[in-house]
Amino acid sequence: MIEVASLLKKRGIPGDIFAHQIFNQEVSYEANLFKGYRKEEREGYGLRVINPEGKLGFYAFNRLLNPQEALDKALEVSQLGDRVDFSIPTYPSSWEWENFVDPRVENLEAQEMIELGDYILSRIREEYPRVLVDIVISAGKEEKSLLNHHEEELKFARTFFEIGVSANQTREGDILEVYTERSWGNRDIDVEGLVQEIVSKLEFSQRVANLNSGKYPVVFTPSGSLVLFIALFYGLNGKNWVFGRSPLGDKEGKVLFSSLFSLEEIQEPWALGSCPFDDEGIMTKAQRSIIDRGRVESAFWDLWSAAKKGIKPTGNGFRSSYRDLPEPGFSSLRVKNGLRDRDTLIGELEEGLIVDSVLGLGQSNVASGYFSCNVQLGFYVKKGEIQGRVKDVMISGNAYPALFNLKEISRDSRWIGGRILLPYLLIEPVEVNK
Amino acid sequence: MMEVLEKLIRLPQKGEYMEVRLESIFSTTIRVQNGVVEKIRVGTDEGGYIRLLAPRGSWWFESFQHWDGLQEKVERAINGASLLPKSDIEVIRKPPVEDEKKVTLTDDFRFKSLKDKTSLLLSYDRILREISPLLVSSLVEYRDEFRQIYLANSDGSLIYWEKPDISISFMATARKGDNIEVYRNGVAGKAGFELVKNQETLAQEVGGKALLLLEAPSFSGGVYDVILDPVLAGVFIHEAFGHLSESDTLYHNEELKKIMAKGKKVSSPILNVFDDGSLDNLRGSSPYDDEGIPTGRTYLIKDGYLSGRLHSRETAFLMQEETTGNARTINYGFPPIVRMTNTAIEEGKTTREDLFSDIERGLYAVEYIGGNTALELFTFSAAYGYLIEKGKIKEPVKDVVLSGNLFQTLDKIDAVANDFRWTEVGGCGKGGQMGLPTPTGSPHIRLREVLVGGSHND
Repeated sequence: MIEVASLLKKRGIPGDIFAHQIFNQEVSYEANLFKGYRKEEREGYGLRVINPEGKLGFYAFNRLLNPQEALDKALEVSQLGDRVDFSIPTYPSSWEWENFVDPRVENLEAQEMIELGDYILSRIREEYPRVLVDIVISAGKEEKSLLNHHEEELKFARTFFEIGVSANQTREGDILEVYTERSWGNRDIDVEGLVQEIVSKLEFSQRVANLNSGKYPVVFTPSGSLVLFIALFYGLNGKNWVFGRSPLGDKEGKVLFSSLFSLEEIQEPWALGSCPFDDEGIMTKAQRSIIDRGRVESAFWDLWSAAKKGIKPTGNGFRSSYRDLPEPGFSSLRVKNGLRDRDTLIGELEEGLIVDSVLGLGQSNVASGYFSCNVQLGFYVKKGEIQGRVKDVMISGNAYPALFNLKEISRDSRWIGGRILLPYLLIEPVEVNK
Repeated sequence: MMEVLEKLIRLPQKGEYMEVRLESIFSTTIRVQNGVVEKIRVGTDEGGYIRLLAPRGSWWFESFQHWDGLQEKVERAINGASLLPKSDIEVIRKPPVEDEKKVTLTDDFRFKSLKDKTSLLLSYDRILREISPLLVSSLVEYRDEFRQIYLANSDGSLIYWEKPDISISFMATARKGDNIEVYRNGVAGKAGFELVKNQETLAQEVGGKALLLLEAPSFSGGVYDVILDPVLAGVFIHEAFGHLSESDTLYHNEELKKIMAKGKKVSSPILNVFDDGSLDNLRGSSPYDDEGIPTGRTYLIKDGYLSGRLHSRETAFLMQEETTGNARTINYGFPPIVRMTNTAIEEGKTTREDLFSDIERGLYAVEYIGGNTALELFTFSAAYGYLIEKGKIKEPVKDVVLSGNLFQTLDKIDAVANDFRWTEVGGCGKGGQMGLPTPTGSPHIRLREVLVGGSHND
């Protein structure tokens, strides 16, 4: 792609070319049976230019085109594009970051993945011989690079290793499905922890417990709390600030949430979102405060949105694929943890609910923070003891007041999707309907 | 290309089943927000896959982007599959098909200039923004896609078909202080550029609905008699019953097979539900599915009894049933899995007026934001609703989420109206394959005593 960059330089057209390569292999199990092996190789390029009138053009392709042809197409598009207020970034010549490539993941053999799958399957079935287990194990490597019209280059590679497991138990009139995942940049995934989580979810689910409609304290597990964070992420999207669509847009510096609540963007090396630069060549910070003790400190800004707002970008321009232009997003996030264990939080509940996953995530009015969801997996707690699984129960409320009504945060946390480190959140009250 | 494929499919000689798919996707996406052409994306995406099953083995799948070196890829697949664990997977074999299905579009979007496409979007965006100063944000997104698919398999089938898809969607955000409401709607189809023209009225409506939501109170949760409009009723049947009818959810699950046994009574007798991938010009339609099986109509529920389910070659073999043409892939990156095509509740006899007339106090739930399912649990969000009092439609309400247990809910459908229509916008996700076009159809339907989420605070 250096030819395209050279052409940009020669013609004096500011621009950058983003290249993304992915290699992924996957083994899967369906209903306790080995299903197959899948391998995928993809690469593609996105060429972004700013034409002499200051208008943005973009062209994406996955075949090696003649550089002139790619540039002509991007320039053709730019005639209809938006006049942008940003310039294509220059890149530093060196930075303190290494690739996060684990050779144990990069060179993983299908056979090893199958052995791991067999092991997980047998461990779960030792405890629950009648459940049907689905497993997907993926391992691979991705490389991102950016080249600009100064012929400067940024490059970064990482490996990824992901295990998703669900277990199904079907009886007449009752279908139970529990799920968990672990995703990380290297081989050091806690497989025992994953197995234990599935087994204990099955264990607590064997009894079905009844609770009445009303307001309850609710402990959201790391995966369960996504119902709140999906609204918050919408609210923190810089583009939504620019377009007046975020309730947080006019509240920078204000305290909106519980003083227990702090959210940071971090570059934890093996976390899957972490990166030295975002997808448009802005260097990321090792640590950045987004919400500090309930106060809104910052948001997610890509070049486009930051320029509209007249501020500096924060290194939050990410592309969902080479075919897409950058949009505000995040690398890796962490919610600051608390002092006491999850088990203590639950043990002190007089009467309440644990929410581990919901159906209908992001399908309410995310913009205003409203949520209303079926509890897919949740447990009723009385006098500090888990009584059993709840069925056909809905929770509803608004993520913003809910994070204000945060009563306690656990010490223990878990990475969700390898990208968001979340503790258990105790929120009171939450509306529960049956 | 066909000659190349014909040679390739003869390479496996030990009773393997193999598919080779080559795909070329030409697409354009344009997004206008608040009067700004924020994104124009044009591109060509080319790729393919080889999928191979050794006898009584398991699946080898390799996806790639370049159409060269196919023979080596096939040889690698034959060798790779022979090393995978045995898994007793088999597929139904069929007689060979040779076919070529080309599409002629009325106003072919491939020959429209980017300028024409962009100026149409800008004109809709202007309409949206001029409705009210309370509409803080407008978004118009256009997408077209023309797919060419070559498929060859071990039946000896060699098939080429084309798949056009076009859509335009409008989104308006209305805001008063911290009250922010978003409404979106659009059109989509297997059609040419004519589909997205003359949509000024829809743009107007989208702005109007966002404003209506801003003023509407939240619906208070509880148990209500509910009427679903055709759009939401379609989503309901897709989520609640369609997914459970996909045989890959139950073919290894003996207990679930009992629950979903053919001939079992699953709903009130007035309900008929079908899936049909062979209907003319719907987005879920295709002459063949992605395993080269001709599409057709499958009744899932007939007069309240479970009468059929959706199959791939693999699930049909294991369950010893006929193939239905429901193996679909989102693109060359993924293997085909069991999916719905166009799924619908068949028209009934009740008039729409009669549906409402004997509801004392209830909810009329309209259109949708989304839907989700986990086997017997389902949930779906209406875009908005209206209260019904003494058979009359009253004030609008928002934040309407319906949720429940499938088997209990199907039995609560006590009336099906005679005003059937298809809804083509939207897509379905399964197994990492998101946004597959799966139109739904239905008339208005009535359900008794359904759990609706909401807050008692408002």
